[in-house]
Amino acid sequence: MPPSQVNRALDGLRDALGELTVVWWRFVDWLALVEWRRLVIIWLLALVTLGFIHLGEQAVWFIFISFGVKVLAGGKRKAEIEARQAGIKANVANLEKQLTQAQMAALQAQVEPHFLFNTLALIGQLIETDPPEAARVHAHLIDYLRATLPQLRARGGGTLGKQCEMARAYLAIMQARMKERLQVTFIVPVFLESAPFPPLMLQSLIENAIKHGLEPKIAGGLITVRAQVIEATLQVDVCDDGIGINLHAADGVGLANIRERLQLLYGGAAELVIEAPLEGGCCASIRLPYSMMEQA
Amino acid sequence: MITALIADDEAPMRDQLRARLLAVWPALAIVAEAANGNDAVALAQQHSPDIVFLDIRMPGMSGIEAARQLYSRCHIVFVTAYDQYALDAFEQGAMDYLLKPVTAERLERTCERLRTRLARPPQDIGAQLAQLAQVLQQATPAKPSYLRWIQAQVGGNLRMVSTREVLFFQSDEKYTRVQTATAELLIRKTLKELSDELDPDEFWRIHRSTLVRVDAIVEVTRDMRGRHMLRLRGHKEELEISRNHTHLFQQM
Repeated sequence: MPPSQVNRALDGLRDALGELTVVWWRFVDWLALVEWRRLVIIWLLALVTLGFIHLGEQAVWFIFISFGVKVLAGGKRKAEIEARQAGIKANVANLEKQLTQAQMAALQAQVEPHFLFNTLALIGQLIETDPPEAARVHAHLIDYLRATLPQLRARGGGTLGKQCEMARAYLAIMQARMKERLQVTFIVPVFLESAPFPPLMLQSLIENAIKHGLEPKIAGGLITVRAQVIEATLQVDVCDDGIGINLHAADGVGLANIRERLQLLYGGAAELVIEAPLEGGCCASIRLPYSMMEQA
Repeated sequence: MITALIADDEAPMRDQLRARLLAVWPALAIVAEAANGNDAVALAQQHSPDIVFLDIRMPGMSGIEAARQLYSRCHIVFVTAYDQYALDAFEQGAMDYLLKPVTAERLERTCERLRTRLARPPQDIGAQLAQLAQVLQQATPAKPSYLRWIQAQVGGNLRMVSTREVLFFQSDEKYTRVQTATAELLIRKTLKELSDELDPDEFWRIHRSTLVRVDAIVEVTRDMRGRHMLRLRGHKEELEISRNHTHLFQQM
């Protein structure tokens, strides 16, 4: 026989064996779970029907093998199957735990101690060199803390308008430090200000844009915050023209946190998309389901 | 006349330091101010000041790198926000440093020291600086060399997918499929290239054509055919583990 035919024959044999194994394991699973009472009835039926067509010997073999398998391997197999089901239940419980934890994390203050320290130091400097500017930065810091600290956060802070207000306060403080190295543009239509938007996400994206995009760039650059509705999606972009993403730098806790919270709040309907525009820099975009009805 | 240069990326910081220096050392002339390390070196070469006040964290060239180019020609004083690693290194190397925000008392002591030092040539701190550069590099997160972002062309845009989002990579005929919880993308990078560049603790090879994210693995089961199948968090599809990779899961 030529080798190709041998191969084909071997393939056929392997497939047949594969199918046979599948059938066999299904049979074992069935045996493991079936009740004894039912099995006995099936044996009797098999004995009668097969005996009727003169296959009584086969029926006896069937009874003998299934009895053996059920006694020897049935218990273990049943335990395995049950363990698997229990595992799925445990997964659900675990997921619920994760959910509560993530919600807790979202509620906790996300003010970076470094930011607070640097801002207080800045106010200290400005008191000596430029008192009116010190008063302005001080007011921005209070706005920022009011929006950030859960103890101070006003109810109904979860609108795009409120989140932009807080982002503006944060950016004003950063501008006092970075001066002309930080330019800011907000393109947020008034009608979108009342749209629901989860807290601290916009903030987190802006922090990233400054920390990884603009601060390392000597000339600094521009941060653009843009909100728009595209079909049934509310899209909020934070773009910078900074140094762009370093492919070998891990994404921070901030982005992972946003992704997790979007998943918890909207399931698969919302996403965080990061893009590298051709002209350089980085664009992060949060896309949420948006319905006009909510606005009415 | 004794001259000095101030380098800090934040203007208010420079203003404050200048004001405080004027108060404690009126005779000191601030000849230039720089907003980044590159400017600091250029301006120091132009003005040859006696003293350079250098912030450590600046865009472009850092304060440490700038100091390595300048220490033989002028006295260096580092100005830094709190950083335990740097402070230890300064203390060990007997280098001058100021902690932000700079207090008048501390500045006075530093200026006192500088006045006595100015009589002598600048101390040779080359070795200390090299050590300091190394210490600060170690303090920043390790493993910087692994690939952490996947670039995928989506429409006309270049999408950046964090490796943390990726559940698995699977090689197709021409492309590599990237599966996340929400999307499926195609990239041109081959599985071989990926497995060379990715963190081997982050992704495991389970099959000739599959790389999976380790922390997304939920369980390994045997299917009807006796094949080892792997289930991932948040994904329906089961992935086959080939025979020569089942050893990865022996302990699980």
